[in-house]
Amino acid sequence: MMNLAWKEIKKSKVRFLILGSIVFLVSLLTFIISGLANGLSQDNAALIKDLPNGQFYMDADADETYNLSRIDNSTMEKLLNNEKDATALSIQMGFLNDESDKQQSVAFVTSTDSKLFPHVKSGEVILDRSMEDKGIKVGDTLTNNQFSGEFIVKGFVDQTKFSHAPVAFINIKNYKEIYRVNEMQLVFLLGGDSSQEFAGLQSFSKQDFLNTIPSYSAEQMSLNMIVWFLVVISGLLFAIFFYMMNVQKIGLYGILKAIGLKTSRLFRIMWAQMIFITVPALALSIVLCQVFNRIAPEGMPFSLTMETTATLSLVFLIIGFIGATLSGIQIKKVEPLQAIQQGEM
Amino acid sequence: MMSIFTIDKVKKTFTNGEVKEEVLKGINLSLAEGEITALVGASGSGKSTLLTIAAGLQPASDGQVLFEGKNINAMNQEQIRQIRASEFGFVFQFAHLVPFLTVEEQLMLMLDVSDSTLKKTEQKREVNRVLQLVGMDHRKNAYPPSLSGGEKQRVAIARAIIHQPKVLFADEPTASLDSKRSKDVMALIRELTKTLNITTLIVTHDEEMLSYADHIIKMSDGLILQNENPELVGRA
Repeated sequence: MMNLAWKEIKKSKVRFLILGSIVFLVSLLTFIISGLANGLSQDNAALIKDLPNGQFYMDADADETYNLSRIDNSTMEKLLNNEKDATALSIQMGFLNDESDKQQSVAFVTSTDSKLFPHVKSGEVILDRSMEDKGIKVGDTLTNNQFSGEFIVKGFVDQTKFSHAPVAFINIKNYKEIYRVNEMQLVFLLGGDSSQEFAGLQSFSKQDFLNTIPSYSAEQMSLNMIVWFLVVISGLLFAIFFYMMNVQKIGLYGILKAIGLKTSRLFRIMWAQMIFITVPALALSIVLCQVFNRIAPEGMPFSLTMETTATLSLVFLIIGFIGATLSGIQIKKVEPLQAIQQGEM
Repeated sequence: MMSIFTIDKVKKTFTNGEVKEEVLKGINLSLAEGEITALVGASGSGKSTLLTIAAGLQPASDGQVLFEGKNINAMNQEQIRQIRASEFGFVFQFAHLVPFLTVEEQLMLMLDVSDSTLKKTEQKREVNRVLQLVGMDHRKNAYPPSLSGGEKQRVAIARAIIHQPKVLFADEPTASLDSKRSKDVMALIRELTKTLNITTLIVTHDEEMLSYADHIIKMSDGLILQNENPELVGRA
């Protein structure tokens, strides 16, 4: 079958190049914003996001705010004893003073014994690796104004942040001293689901719990809204572009129909052109995004996984297909007779 | 001469709001194989409407359009499309060539549309042969914008006959051409009609072009007024 779609693109390079460039720019912007959204999300809640699937529980009276939650010790003990994959944990924002007495903002995290969180002895701390960039090394001694002793840095863990602060894993005893509390805030039930209810506790899926983190949902909602706006805009771009092209080609379509070309083939030409434009534009965007990922400044939270890239690319293709198809409804309506009665194209 | 195309009591009424206008008032006409039938008449006489109904480009309000004994007017859109693609050829007032295809590709497309069974090399050979027939083989790699009006119309004629149609419909094929080119184009249509034994129905308002036709049908106000060969035509 003659490749009319490609022949037209070759003959009208500028026209298609313009659309391709716009799709490229919109998709690049979408990928970058999506990367930033994901990066910020990691920066805000990697500690929680990177946990395997499971169910969080907090005090039912905590008004869905984890740092107001105080789980009664007897309830916690019962839960930990009955559920072998349960872990109690607490998270609080705080400060550590480094050896030069400079304050470093951290998220203190403590937990009962669990394979999900590093085991830390009293007087020890394990930090997120980003603290290494701030000059902190293994063996350094750190202090906290509310803590009577000192913390010795035992090691670093990768990509473990909470509320945009590096996580500092400390022992329960030390945590209780710093925050003057006796109860833990949360229980995480590995592999649990919403069907498991416990008296006095409110249950949250991982995503629900993430949404209770102040700023997380607001931040993600705004960025995701921009991403989806851009996706919709790209769909509209396709619809408008092909609409304009189709309006210009109504005469041609009519003649092609008159000589016997099937309407379905005219649609296939349009879809093929949509793919010819979108695929290279997306490929270029993906490559540039990966380059951006490598050259982005250290502090810029950027994370674009292959899964997100593939999903967005697929969404772009589907949106492009829908946009082009909607504009192509005109093709279906074209009567050969109209075209014949028109002048030369 | 054998007739492969018969128009039987064809009427066409256009409705615009509450106003009904009868453009064709019961036309009877037979087209003979290998001959050119020219429809002439004043503007609004219904000649172009008759040609487009005959070509299956619009339905008649009443009557039959019989091609090889089958009523086109009773067929669905896909059946009519198939007939248009494989059995009919079209030449219009403007060449209406595909702007992004070369002359050769215009003809290859028509073979493709008509589901030609020829192999690619045979198709190319056939295209060359037909381009030679219309004197356009030297421009086979040219794109439409670089062709003159006469050259475009020659390519349009080549496209109309490349798939060896049984019927050729030509609606004012010389209207956009000057006198000399008009004569060349009409001479070409006549030559091809005779050599390829095509049945040709042509609409023209140019009296000079009538000398190339075998039969002349004069139309006025939706009726056939006069036919130089009464055997072929009935009256409404």
